[in-house]
Amino acid sequence: MLRYAFRLHRWGWIGYGIVLLVGMSVQAAAFVQVAGSTAASRAAFAHDMGVLAAQLSYILPAPFRLDTLDGYVQWRAYGPFALVVMIWAIAAAAGAARGDEDRQLVDYWLAARVSRARVVASRLAAYGLASLAAAVLGALGFAVGVVRYESLNLGGLAGKTLTLWLLMLALFALCYLVAQLVASTRAAQAAGAAVVVVLYLVDVLARSDHSFDGLAWVSPFKWYDATTVLAPGGHLDAAGVALSVALVVVTSVLSALAFMHRDVRGSLFPRRAREARAKDAAPSPLLAWPVARLLYRQRWIVVGWALGTGAMALYMVSIAHTVVDAAIGLPGMRDFLTHSSGGDPYRGFIAAFWFGIAQLLLAGFAVHLVSGWASDDTEGILTSVLSMPVHRWAVIGERFAAAVVGTAVVVAVGSLVAAATAAGVGTTLDAASVFRASWVLIPFTLTYAAVGAAASADFPRAAVGVLGMLAFASFLIYELGPLLQWPAWASDLSVQQLYGTPFLTGVFWNGLWAMVAVVIAGFGLAVLLMQRREVGT
Amino acid sequence: MTSAIRTEGLTKDYGAGRGLFDLDLEVPEGQVFGYLGPNGAGKTTTIRQLMGLAYPTRGRASIFGLDCHRQAVEAKRLTGYVPGEPPQFGGLRGREVIAYLGAMAGGVDREHVKELCDRLQFDVSLRYRDYSSGNKKKLLLVIAFMHRPRLLVLDEPTSGLDPLNQQEFYAMVREARTAGATVFLSSHVLSEVEHVCDRVGIIRAGRLVNVASLEDLHEIRVHRVEMEFGGDVPVEAVRRAAGVEGVTVDDHRLHCLVRGSFEPLIAAVAGAHVVNLSSHEPSLEEMFLTYYAEPGKEEAVSPC
Repeated sequence: MLRYAFRLHRWGWIGYGIVLLVGMSVQAAAFVQVAGSTAASRAAFAHDMGVLAAQLSYILPAPFRLDTLDGYVQWRAYGPFALVVMIWAIAAAAGAARGDEDRQLVDYWLAARVSRARVVASRLAAYGLASLAAAVLGALGFAVGVVRYESLNLGGLAGKTLTLWLLMLALFALCYLVAQLVASTRAAQAAGAAVVVVLYLVDVLARSDHSFDGLAWVSPFKWYDATTVLAPGGHLDAAGVALSVALVVVTSVLSALAFMHRDVRGSLFPRRAREARAKDAAPSPLLAWPVARLLYRQRWIVVGWALGTGAMALYMVSIAHTVVDAAIGLPGMRDFLTHSSGGDPYRGFIAAFWFGIAQLLLAGFAVHLVSGWASDDTEGILTSVLSMPVHRWAVIGERFAAAVVGTAVVVAVGSLVAAATAAGVGTTLDAASVFRASWVLIPFTLTYAAVGAAASADFPRAAVGVLGMLAFASFLIYELGPLLQWPAWASDLSVQQLYGTPFLTGVFWNGLWAMVAVVIAGFGLAVLLMQRREVGT
Repeated sequence: MTSAIRTEGLTKDYGAGRGLFDLDLEVPEGQVFGYLGPNGAGKTTTIRQLMGLAYPTRGRASIFGLDCHRQAVEAKRLTGYVPGEPPQFGGLRGREVIAYLGAMAGGVDREHVKELCDRLQFDVSLRYRDYSSGNKKKLLLVIAFMHRPRLLVLDEPTSGLDPLNQQEFYAMVREARTAGATVFLSSHVLSEVEHVCDRVGIIRAGRLVNVASLEDLHEIRVHRVEMEFGGDVPVEAVRRAAGVEGVTVDDHRLHCLVRGSFEPLIAAVAGAHVVNLSSHEPSLEEMFLTYYAEPGKEEAVSPC
């Protein structure tokens, strides 16, 4: 059973392992390019990066020894990859706890007299092996990137790999426990994501304000960040490791107990059937209208991302003064923040960093939408729809329209919260710039959605993976292109590059038309693929 | 009479001998057609072609003269469908699923939906994931019947239904036929076919092996015969008789299968001293099994 459970994770560990491998090796190679090879240049680089770290605390841990390659990779690669593996842990746990039951695999295992405790142990052990494989691939990537320039700190690398593995396992075990409390895969994903994101934000809060340090120790992300063993002079945080192991053990035992006390495909706390029957309201009239009916089915996705984006806008804009006051002492940052924004560095910060993180969030939103389309296919809903008098092209058209409306809602909430919060902290953002930067986010998001639409129209099971890879590659190109002085055409492969900086410098029309072309091509291709494909196989 | 369903050389070749091959079939309007075959015979493949969900390798299929692929939308406007595998609507309530798909189907009368739900004792207020497999099947039946389609394409519609609801379903099919609808019903439950079908097609290994009315099916039925002789058993004469198969002799007793008319067997034993004769009519199930037998294994019905 362990072997089969491990097989269920094969695409996860291969995909995320490749992401870690490539990310680590590229960051290691990038350090030598951007920091130089002398002690003085590296010290200057570390100083600049240290200031940048304060602004990027929502995504990066506290810096440590950024004048060294090991310290830089620990901060720049191992830090944000906590977010990347978080997504995998949430999805994998929901699939393991609920997807297996939806597919009736658990029925067969239990009928074959496999104990419930063994089912839980096997799924946790299988993810343990899969996440270990991914972490080892990441370490391999680091080793490949470093070995050309410096000697390898094997002990430190082993320590950081251990903590990355424990982080993945702890998040998985936690989400696996949360999944016992709900009754569907989608609910498990949402509940797991909510818990993990809160824990992440607690850690982020402590990164910006050290008075929250004590609270942050409830977060596995804090335990992970506490180990700095890869960098010279760093250490393996025994308390963090012990807490991670304890969390895995405790949540595993609780999951097993919960699973033993609930029905298969049921929640640990089932709603009473009577209460459910009492809900006899008429179905929503939205279900009768094209586009509205798809939006109705995806309403919690849209609402969740709108609220999340609003919360992030609130956080990012509210820390603007703190961060800018710290960064303004650096000549490079002062120039960047003031000259590009008409003399107001706070406005410059909000423009650069809020609309930067908004792109990240909206790429995630697009992936989530595409995941829903792919699920419609694999769960037989598309078959039901196409057994009705509905044109295949209309299915794609409806997805497109719903994506436009959903994206507009998420963007509007984020931008309105950002503008209102900015006004609250004494920084006025001019409405035209906010509007311009906001509406360009719609074709930006639809660019990802278009690729996902094409992929999900023909290979629904691979669509999310393909789109995730594209988003990762796009961010990597955008970030490394300027540092490594790649040619313009290479940088233009990044969707972020095509978005440009519309808040500060106006719409990048060439980029916009390129995005529009991708949207037309992607959804057009989706129509063609949908027309010729077979459904329900 | 108009054909509700017509296929001409319809083929879906999945390779390695799997799929559906050269299906020529015509179902007249107003008929209840049973489509029988074992698992993997090609029943669902046929239905997916009719519903325009899969494309043929060659050949064509039409519904009321409308091509199942080029005019799929028009064809499906006239069709109600129950898939073999229920979809997963997750947290949507039963009434929401009906509203969602009903709006796409068009022409749904709320009173008719309520009547269908009452007949099948289906509670529309629960979330889809909370329904049992039988209740999911009831929901799919409500969806198939809700717009009073001219053609019902039903892929193993009674699997998961309890006997009472099966009877209700048979009544619904009869009423639909009385109202002029055509029903294409795949099944491997012969009693179901006996209950409601006018005509039956038997498919095996992707090929249609027989199409007949129920009466025709009984006429070509197999009989299991046991004869006891007072003297020598005319075994060679019996073996040569047309339609006689699986001849075995045990002392003075002869066992055989008779397919079709008894006349050749009676002629073969003429003059012999027959002291006892019994003929057992196999159930439709057993007859069906003879069609299921792989080529070269035609003796699926034991003479014993």
